[in-house]
Amino acid sequence: MQQQEIHNFLERYFTANNCDVIENNKGYMTVQLTVELDKELMNRPFYWHYLEKTGGVPNPMKLTFITNKQQAPDNVKGEVIHFGSPRLHQIFQSTKNLAGFIRLYENNQFRTQTPLIPWIGLNIKISYQCDRKRDVFQSIGLQLINGRMVEDFHDKLLRLPLKSNIPDYAYTLSPLIKPKSGVNRIQSFLTAGIEQEDQAWAEEARKRWKKDLDLLHHFYEDEEEKSESFETEKKALQEQYEPKINITIINGGVFYLTEGAL
Amino acid sequence: MTVQINFDSSWQDEMAVRIENDGPWGNWELYKLAIEIEKHTIIPEFEGLQAPVHLPELTPLPHQLEVAKQVVENMNGKAILADEVGLGKTIEAGLILKEYMIRGLVKKVLILVPASLVSQWAMELNTKFHIPAIAQKKSYVWEQCDVVVSSIDTAKRAPHRDIINNLNYDLIIIDEAHKLKNNKTKNYEFVQNLKKRFCLLLTATPIQNRIEEIFNLVSLLKPGHLGSESAFFDKYKKDSRSVNDDEHLRELVNKVMIRNRRSDTGIEWTKRQVETLPIEFSKEERALYDSIQALRSSESGLASSQFSLMTLQREACSSREAVFYTLRNMLQRQENPSVGFQNTIAQLIKRVEAVTKNSKAEKALELIKQINDKVIIFTEYRATQLYLQWFLKQNGITSVPFRGGFKRGKKDWMRELFQKNVQVLIATEAGGEGINLQFCSHIINFDLPWNPMRLEQRIGRIHRLGQEKDVKIYNFATKGTVEEHVLKLLYEKINLFEKVIGELDDILTKLEFGNIEDHLVDIFGKSSSEGEMKIKMENLTSMIQFAEEMKEDKPRAATGNP
Repeated sequence: MQQQEIHNFLERYFTANNCDVIENNKGYMTVQLTVELDKELMNRPFYWHYLEKTGGVPNPMKLTFITNKQQAPDNVKGEVIHFGSPRLHQIFQSTKNLAGFIRLYENNQFRTQTPLIPWIGLNIKISYQCDRKRDVFQSIGLQLINGRMVEDFHDKLLRLPLKSNIPDYAYTLSPLIKPKSGVNRIQSFLTAGIEQEDQAWAEEARKRWKKDLDLLHHFYEDEEEKSESFETEKKALQEQYEPKINITIINGGVFYLTEGAL
Repeated sequence: MTVQINFDSSWQDEMAVRIENDGPWGNWELYKLAIEIEKHTIIPEFEGLQAPVHLPELTPLPHQLEVAKQVVENMNGKAILADEVGLGKTIEAGLILKEYMIRGLVKKVLILVPASLVSQWAMELNTKFHIPAIAQKKSYVWEQCDVVVSSIDTAKRAPHRDIINNLNYDLIIIDEAHKLKNNKTKNYEFVQNLKKRFCLLLTATPIQNRIEEIFNLVSLLKPGHLGSESAFFDKYKKDSRSVNDDEHLRELVNKVMIRNRRSDTGIEWTKRQVETLPIEFSKEERALYDSIQALRSSESGLASSQFSLMTLQREACSSREAVFYTLRNMLQRQENPSVGFQNTIAQLIKRVEAVTKNSKAEKALELIKQINDKVIIFTEYRATQLYLQWFLKQNGITSVPFRGGFKRGKKDWMRELFQKNVQVLIATEAGGEGINLQFCSHIINFDLPWNPMRLEQRIGRIHRLGQEKDVKIYNFATKGTVEEHVLKLLYEKINLFEKVIGELDDILTKLEFGNIEDHLVDIFGKSSSEGEMKIKMENLTSMIQFAEEMKEDKPRAATGNP
């Protein structure tokens, strides 16, 4: 992510959260937080607790972010944001927290009564982890009436007009498959796929693990009673090398779409 | 063997609750943003770094990228970075730090560097890596800021020490880490007690293949990994240098240490062209030099101090101002100078006053005009520096002074003036101060330091990464003086000037016969005849040559991975 992309991202994040962007210039921006976002980002529970107890006037903070030190005027004081900075990680995390679950309806200015079919959509990260790491992003949708599964679901959604409440003339069909079992079907689909994959990466990791472990044994071979530090080191190696795959859902939700939408 | 698959079911449970309660539901814009972010933060391959993608204006060199990759992929963020001087260890450390920050693995960082480099480190991390590193000034900084740069001497003092010991660091970077090879020191103890996850030790001085040093440094990186100290030393003799002979130790060293040599980097280094310019004393200069020489055998108060005489002689080869300054100091230092002592000094001062021109300065002027480009003049003496500044100004040449004692801001300013406005920089101290002047490619060694490392550092200011032209080095040596001897016998015989930085470093540490400068003072000061001096010089030369051969024969543990 380049500094300009970070700047645009921040602007979109705060606007989507109904914060006023007071100043928005080359290299920096100042935003007025809402009460909700102050609670989300500023980590001052005592202040909010106190305020709610005493009924005072809430005074959420203003924040200035510098996205490019060279472009921002010298007198602007604020937090320097870079890709990798803890504040940006926090805002990334917050974005995911605030948008973990969604329900949307396709909106096509319907003239006649139109049925909308329920889908469950999941955006998923599969992390292959050993002493190294690799992630794969997958987006899968499952139709909750006939069980049809669609990949690249998110990208397909981006092409549709969507809104958060049910449009005029539209009505929703009840799912035959419960969302929960929909998620389970997607899970088995992913697991089956992973089991087919080449696992050379895991074998390689185990080889490296063994090599390191042998070296550790060598340094302790003269000790009759293996000391505590030996066990600690051994455990550290396990944590470092043991191959595993973690599947996490980034976000997802229920989508009501017209029949021919996908 | 199958790999365990964990499916995070927390989303599913929460979704059920939301369906039950009909919300709350997220906002479509944020939902889309979350996916965009995810696509940015995903690590698409097991191998490779993320950081360079996010640092478009930084162009790291291949070996620097390789080091960062090795440390992240194979060393689990615990490593000794021991590249030769001038290969950019700061860039390597910055890349690793950035990489871990992008991966969200590192937040709290402590960087311990020599005091003179604190602000430079902070600045480089900010400008090159967009990492908001703060140079520690107030004690609250430790807790409030995530990335702090400080000197180890500040950090280990109260009240800082206690604050730091209570913090959990994700990454610690220590520059000049060779100072930590002795585990009996306060610095070692301090670093050992830091709570850390990842740790980088940077050193330009190669770790000698001494078992004890290796044990100590590895113990900082991976406490407990080598077993107990006593058991380790039972197995491997403490002073032994047999790291090469033991396969396990060699494997260990390769696991924690990376050392790039200039020759490994594949970078085309520009050449060094060395020219020695013999200088002929004027009659008066010669008289001054000879009268100091004569004092060695005389009964005057000065003869007792070989060192002072040596200094005076060397100064006489530089400028009459330098001699005068020292003479005045010698006189002032004595509480009740004897009449004889006063007379001797007075006589010498007369000789000084008789000198009307500086032959070297005139040669320098001629050379500067002929070069017609930026030039750095190095001299050992402040008085010479002042004189040269005056002298060049008289002749219409602009110059700025540079000294180790300048504050950071002044150094930066002088450097900038030199780069933009003036032709000559006159420096007394090359010091390991990290000032980089690679926009200049001419050096005049107005007088020669006797410590070859100092000479290396002088040349290292301009002959480093980023230098595009061949580097020209002009050595001034006055005929028929100690200077000529030093240059001929030592520098020319061991080809010091053609060597690349770092090589000599290796040789000298291996030699372990102490400071070359001390040897030279001894040789010139104590030899009773020219013949004796020659023999001693030749001995010294052959010792150095011997060490060089030893080095070439034996590959060392840390040279690359097998």
